[in-house]
Amino acid sequence: MRRPRPVTVRRLLIVAVLVLWEAVPQTGLIPELLLPSLSSTLRALIADWDKYGEALLVTLYEVSLAMLVACGAGILVGALVGGLKPLRDLLLPVFSSLYAVPIVILYPIFTAWLGIGSEAKIAFAGVYGFFPVMLSTAAGIRTIDPQLLLAARAMGATVPQQIGRVVIPASIPTVLTGLRLGGALTIIGVVVSEMLTSTAGIGYLVTRYRTILDSAHVFAAVFMILVLSILFDTFARYIERRTMVWQTAGRRERTDTADRRLTTAPAPV
Amino acid sequence: MNRLTILAVRLALLGAFLAAWEMLPRHGVLDARMLPPLGDVLRMLVDVLGRPRVQEAIGVSAGEFAVAFLIAIPLGAAIGILIAENDYLGEIFKPMLFYVFSVPKSIFLPMFILVFGIGFQQKVAYAAFSTVFIVIMSATAAVESVKADHLLVARSYGATRAQIIGRVYLPSMMPVLLEALRLSMIFNFTGVLIAEMYASRTGIGQLIANWGENFQMPQLFAGVVFLATVAIVFNESIRWLEAQCSAWRT
Repeated sequence: MRRPRPVTVRRLLIVAVLVLWEAVPQTGLIPELLLPSLSSTLRALIADWDKYGEALLVTLYEVSLAMLVACGAGILVGALVGGLKPLRDLLLPVFSSLYAVPIVILYPIFTAWLGIGSEAKIAFAGVYGFFPVMLSTAAGIRTIDPQLLLAARAMGATVPQQIGRVVIPASIPTVLTGLRLGGALTIIGVVVSEMLTSTAGIGYLVTRYRTILDSAHVFAAVFMILVLSILFDTFARYIERRTMVWQTAGRRERTDTADRRLTTAPAPV
Repeated sequence: MNRLTILAVRLALLGAFLAAWEMLPRHGVLDARMLPPLGDVLRMLVDVLGRPRVQEAIGVSAGEFAVAFLIAIPLGAAIGILIAENDYLGEIFKPMLFYVFSVPKSIFLPMFILVFGIGFQQKVAYAAFSTVFIVIMSATAAVESVKADHLLVARSYGATRAQIIGRVYLPSMMPVLLEALRLSMIFNFTGVLIAEMYASRTGIGQLIANWGENFQMPQLFAGVVFLATVAIVFNESIRWLEAQCSAWRT
């Protein structure tokens, strides 16, 4: 007997999880309090859509500002640390050690300083997302093929030309990976901080409905966060694939074997 | 720059940072109620660590951390090795795991509270849950770092299964395993703290959240300094071990 294709098994598994999510609470094997069925979760989501939509807007606003903070600061510091050798030797190991500190313990400090409004969440999630962006920008700039820079310099490129035509295009794929990781972390940061101390946002809804034991509404909020983070991940991966061509362009042996999507992507100009 | 200069500049930077933390609030440049001077924070740290309630909380947190670690590591390693060694299972589950990995685990905290309450088991269950995925990913990476050539050579010289595991697998996997240990410790530590800060009656995370809510800044900063120090010391000691083992790799 031939085994079914892995993709088929994977799809079947996902369908099975959804079916079990609906069927098991219906039969009463697990009480609805612990696991509300898929239909009652969706019903809760639709019935209170105005509340969820409002909370979603607050969360999205905080996430986008936090991403701006994390990406701006991360790319700036990462470019400096990756580009300047003395800074790199001096600071990179320090940043990797600091990475071990659980950043969540800083959140009480942020709320004490900035109050429990959006500012504390933005600051906290910004710090959360800063590290991956900064580290991967530094790595992206450090791992540029030195041959490319040598060629540019030999043909008389000025420093701005070298940065604009070589450094930025060559480091973009690595930086984008960092933006994907950092973006995911800012979403986590905002949601966690909303769950801990807050007055608005999806994380706040999770906590509020939990304290009144309204499981269907808790699951609906959790479901929204899951969809949000998966959408972001898919979108970021898509952008990453589109820009991969920048890294492989001009290297024959790799473009031949590379993903077919690359050939349909716009050529770097 | 040579290593001594780097070390000296780093120490100077650290000294400047600590001096600024002490001097700026002390002389009124920054609000001392918002940022207590370093000296006050350290004095408070010694005081706080002497209190029985805090010692008990640290003990509880350490217990949760240890039990969660003992659950997450073998479980994650077993799943990871299974996925890496079996191509079919790998193709089914690897893409799913990558997605699960990018999902924030903390949003599942309410479910752990619904099932386990807010006691010791809930902290352990949540911390193990948030750690197990990184262990799976690292274990997969560790198995894949074993070079097929080395296996082939060992087999053609007639190595037994035990010899292959002891002489090929373990030495090749050691650096990745230590890296995995380090990462999962960071995840586990964060998991325990988040769970305690979210809903708990005891534990160091609950104390920190409580100090923050009551605006007890010296206590809060003392707690943060203590936890940050513990995390960095753990991290650096495993990195040191990693450096010792990387000689095996080549």
